Order: sequence, then C-alpha cells, then structure tokens
Amino acid sequence: MNIQQNLSLMEKLAILTDAAKYDVACTSSGVDRKGNGAGMGNSIASGICHTFSADGRCVSLLKILFTNECIFNCAYCQNNCNSDVPRASFTPDEVCELTMEFYRRNYIEGLFLSSGIMISPNYTMDLIYQTLYKLRRVHHFNGYIHVKAIPGADPVLVEKAGFLADRMSINLELPTADSLKKLAPYKSRATILKPMRQIQNSITENKNEVALYRSVPRFVPAGQSTQMIIGATPENDYQIMKVAESLYQKFELKRVFYSAFVNVNQNSDLPMLPGGPPLLREHRLYQADWLLRYYDFTVDELLSENRPDFNIYLDPKCDWALRHLECFPVEINRADYRTLLRVPGIGAKSAQRIVKARRMNRLDFSDLKKIGVVLKRALYFITCSGKMMYHTKLEENYICQNLLADKTQIPKEIRETGYEQISLFDTGMIS
Amino acid sequence: MYTFICEDSPNGILSGIYDAWAFKIEQNRRFRSGNTDNVATPCTHEDISLLCREPDNYELFCDYLSVAVSPEKSDKVARTILDRLGMEFYETLINAILAITPEHKKDIDKADAAYKTVVYALNSSAGAQVLHDLANPYIHRIFTLSRATHAEAHHLMGFLRFSELDNGVLFSTIHPKNNALPYLAEHFTDRLPQENFIIYDENRRTAAVHSAGKNFMLVDASDLNQDILKHYSEQELEYRALWQTFFESIAIKARINPKLQASNIPKRFWGDTVELCTT
Repeated sequence: MNIQQNLSLMEKLAILTDAAKYDVACTSSGVDRKGNGAGMGNSIASGICHTFSADGRCVSLLKILFTNECIFNCAYCQNNCNSDVPRASFTPDEVCELTMEFYRRNYIEGLFLSSGIMISPNYTMDLIYQTLYKLRRVHHFNGYIHVKAIPGADPVLVEKAGFLADRMSINLELPTADSLKKLAPYKSRATILKPMRQIQNSITENKNEVALYRSVPRFVPAGQSTQMIIGATPENDYQIMKVAESLYQKFELKRVFYSAFVNVNQNSDLPMLPGGPPLLREHRLYQADWLLRYYDFTVDELLSENRPDFNIYLDPKCDWALRHLECFPVEINRADYRTLLRVPGIGAKSAQRIVKARRMNRLDFSDLKKIGVVLKRALYFITCSGKMMYHTKLEENYICQNLLADKTQIPKEIRETGYEQISLFDTGMIS
Repeated sequence: MYTFICEDSPNGILSGIYDAWAFKIEQNRRFRSGNTDNVATPCTHEDISLLCREPDNYELFCDYLSVAVSPEKSDKVARTILDRLGMEFYETLINAILAITPEHKKDIDKADAAYKTVVYALNSSAGAQVLHDLANPYIHRIFTLSRATHAEAHHLMGFLRFSELDNGVLFSTIHPKNNALPYLAEHFTDRLPQENFIIYDENRRTAAVHSAGKNFMLVDASDLNQDILKHYSEQELEYRALWQTFFESIAIKARINPKLQASNIPKRFWGDTVELCTT
C-alpha cells in the first residue's frame, strides 16, 4: 500500500472524491425538514441537484470516502487492498469543515459519507459515527446526510449513526451470492443483509414511536437504499430485477441503484467491455425499476425465464404493451388510474392530471397534449370519447415499427455514444 | 368590451383584478337603476379583459382603462383569494404572475389569464380545484406559467452560488428569466437563518437582503455598490478551488457526456456558478 503522509486538504479531497465516484446514489431526496432557526440547513423532499459533472450525473451531496485505505480485496473496486493507488484519510474535523463551508456557499445539499475499511469494520464505523456526531451536535448541521453502514460493523454503532443520518445504505454490490463470493471474498450475503434487516427494523420501530411521541429523534427518515453493479457478472436482467423486487418488498428499501460496470482495475477475470460501460442496459433497468415503484408492475409481467433480458430497442413499458394488446385501447375519460398508468406515453404525473381534469370536462386529444401526454407513443393505445386520434391498426408489427421510428426510445445521450450504428435489421427486430 | 391595462407585477395585476371586478359591479348597478348611458346591456366577466402590457393594436369598440398600482386593492384581492381559495391556489397564481411572458401574440395575456382564473374559481363550487381543469385555456396558461417560475426557482435553489465577502456577508448574483427571487429568498432564509446574505437579481436589479436571525427584505438594488463585491474573504478562493477539485474528481471518465451535462444544467446558468464558469 502506498500510504502518504502530510497530504494537504486539497490532495486528500482529490483522492477521496475520485475513490468515491463509482457510488451511484447522490440523491438528497426523501425527507422534508424545515430549518430550525439556529443551526444551518434544511431539507427538501424532492431533492435538489446543485450541479452536473462532466459525465452528466447530478451532484447533490459532497460524496467522499472517509478513507480509501482498505483491508478488503473486492475485485471490482479500485480501492481494494491490492491496487496501487495513492491512499489518504480525512479527519472528522476536515470532513466537517468541507461540509459546512460548501453548504454555506450552496455548493451542496449535504454529505454522502462512505469509506474503505481501515483496520476493522468497527474502527471505521466508529470514525464515521464520530464525524456525523460532530457535524450534527458541534456544528449544528441540519442539512442532508447519507451514510454507508459498513458490513460487519457492530449493530450498536450502526444504530447510533442511523440517528444522525437521513439515509443509510449498504451496497449489495452484486446480484447473487455466488458472484459476491467470487469477486468480494471478504464480504458475504449475510454480512450485507444482516445490517440491512437491522436498519429496516429500526426504521419501523422508530416510525411507531414517532407516531406516539412526536419529539422522538428520527432514525434514517429518508429510508434505506442499496446499489448493484451491472455487467461485471453473468446475471441476466430477470435475475437482477427479481433481486430488486424482493429488496423493495422484503426489506422496504427506498431505492435500488444500478451501476454500469467500469473495469477500473483492468482485472483480466472481469469483462473488458470495449464498447464502454453498459449504459443502455443500465437505463432499461432504471426504467423497469420505476415501473415497479410507481407503476404497479411486477417483474414477472415484464420478464420471464424464457425472456430474461429487456428489449434494448423499446422501453420496458412499450415492450409490455405490445405483448398485451388485448388490454387496449383504453378510454381516457373512463379508465381508472392504474389502467392509465400502463399506457405508453402516459407518466404518473399525466395520469394524475387526467384523473383530476376529467372531473371538470371531457378530455380530447388536444387536452392530453396540454396535460403532457406523449401522444406519438400513446395514440396507438387510447381513445377519447370512443375515437382514436388517427386511423391506426391495433396490431403488434404495425405499432412496433411506428414506435421504433421514434428515436426517443433510446435516449439521445446514449444513442450518440455509438448505439445508433446498430441497425435494426441486423438484429431481426424488423422482418 | 373593456380592457384594463395594468403593470406587470403581482401588485399591478391584483389591482387590475380589483378594478375590473369593481367596474363590473358598478356597470350592473347602473344598468339596474336604469341609468343607461353607455350601459345598454348587463356587463359580464366575458366583456372584460386585462392586459399587462400596452396593446399592439387598439381595437375599435373597446374601452381601454389604465390601472393604477394600489397596494391596498391588491391586498384585498390577495386576502379574498387566501380566505376562499387557499394558499396553494394563491401561490400558483403568484408564481404565474412572476413568470416572464415573451411577446407571442398567440398566447393569452398573463393578467387576463389570472383574472379569468380567479373569476372561474370564485364562481365555481369546485373552488381551488378548478386549477385541475387543464382543458380550460386560462387555467392551462396559469398552469404553464406557474410551472415555469417554479421550475426555474427549483433549478436556482441548486445552481445559485454564494461567495463570502471580507465582511462575512454571503453574496450571490443570479440572472433568472422569471422572477424567482421571492421564492429563493424564502428558501435561503429558512436554510441559512444565522447568515447575513444578499441575493442579487442582475436582470431586474432587485435584491433579497437577509440579516442573521431576521426575515428577508426585497429591495431595489439599482445603486448597488459593485466595488464591495470584489473584496472576498481570505478563505473564499481556497474553498472555491477545493470545490473545483471535487467537481473535477467526481466525474467518471468512461462516462463523459457533455450533451447530457448541458441538458441537465442549461448553459445559461453556467456563468453564475463556480465550477462551470469560464472566466
């Protein structure tokens, strides 16, 4: 290990930001907290993006590692104990100073503190706890804090940190226990799921207490999240989404994040991915994730053992609709909210607006446009007062060809990184 | 037809709503009392429109009346709206009024949309719920305008940057299209209660001034002393450099995507940030 002494704060920040950048979650959402008039900070439930880095990702929190020294050797991680990178550690005071001064200048919405594992999981978790304690109690910081629970740390330490944080997360890292064993030998499904369960139980318990006594301190009010690396191991989309679904159902997670694999260590046991990280696959997984959380879909409706991967050319909802034409067309002025949600081109917001607006007036296609429905996708699947927008056929091939002509099926940013060169005819999508 | 021309500001437009409504009542009183000079038929809200700019063409058979800004009248209208339609309705209306309206002739005038929306809500049993009636062109106009102000204010809640001056005051310059300043002032007063800060809207030459422990004030800042703004505190440049280091280190090289970046933070905001500003 290349441990350097006497690094400046600037050098530490460069090293420990670089080391934290592959963690996806940077959201500051999930909790509304007014300012308290004395300390500094408040929190807005929708979250606030403060800038966007050169890769186009939202920067909301000061996302850093406490230290990138690590006794573990996870193959996918650039901080693993065998890799030759400069190492650094902050002190709790340095983290507090950066957080407070950045927050005052409105650079950030709060702190995202993760860490490599220095000396032992308990030692590291304790340092994280001390940092959070200082920030909340000495500096009276009232903004957003997202903190990692270190797998294998004492549950008491995790609990104490949870009372100071808004969100906690433990990365699942890889979708299956097998992959984890192969790539992260010091981590196990058990050391990851145990604290996840503990946090879930504490959140539930705390919610019940808060319902009784309003002044009780809140435990992880913005909920728990996790992250999986996509494309480093051979799991298919069906397996990944099944895992996500059970995390939502059994662990009541707020978010599951998906991180397209980047082979940072040039490790020959891991895929080299010459086309760059699997961004389109990541995008489809996020779309499906939204369908699970906000659109009332189940994974088994979207994928199956026989169709284990998402269609790269069509978003998962269009893909589902094309295979279920028997559910369409849907009458806008009558269909219930859940049915509207399943129409391609109608998002959750549009569906809510439709339900409210049609109480006052019958809606026609021009009204839908005002409401924000994407008619070029929706028009094949809806009627207004019994009429379709144009004379169209309710037929899979016909609609599919028309939907594919719509370039937004693959987001512009991903199209322009090379996917546009794939011809639809090469893949037998259109015959 | 009667057209009321009012100032493009919350006070101006609310005063316009007051005058228009009072005018209708007066016309109808005169009609009923048989005093029919110029009042041959009862006056309805459809006969009245508001404009918050000079008309491009003065129409024949239309009386133009100009509205004087009256804090008293606008206050009465605001209180009626708050009492009968609630805070959410009021905020939507004010956000819409604070939105900028480029001179597209086709669009419904902002003041007229505000007037017709208030009339609709006060005369409907649905009350504030009429805001959901997006098929109604006036409501839709208020909805889009209000959303524009709200969206820009939400952007600026993140993109705005404070610099620490050598007297410890946090200073920020913004250039919003819509008048997002009142919204931002409220947000930062809640967030930074113990700081002295100024947010300066250079487009409108107005500023929100906040002293520690107090509420903010909106002031005219056309005579702002630009010199004091160049005297930063000792550590200011150091923290800016730290922030830039963070900003550069957080990007993943394998995913570099300038178009995605520019669509997420539109370039018109870049000049007022620390990390994307080119000068």
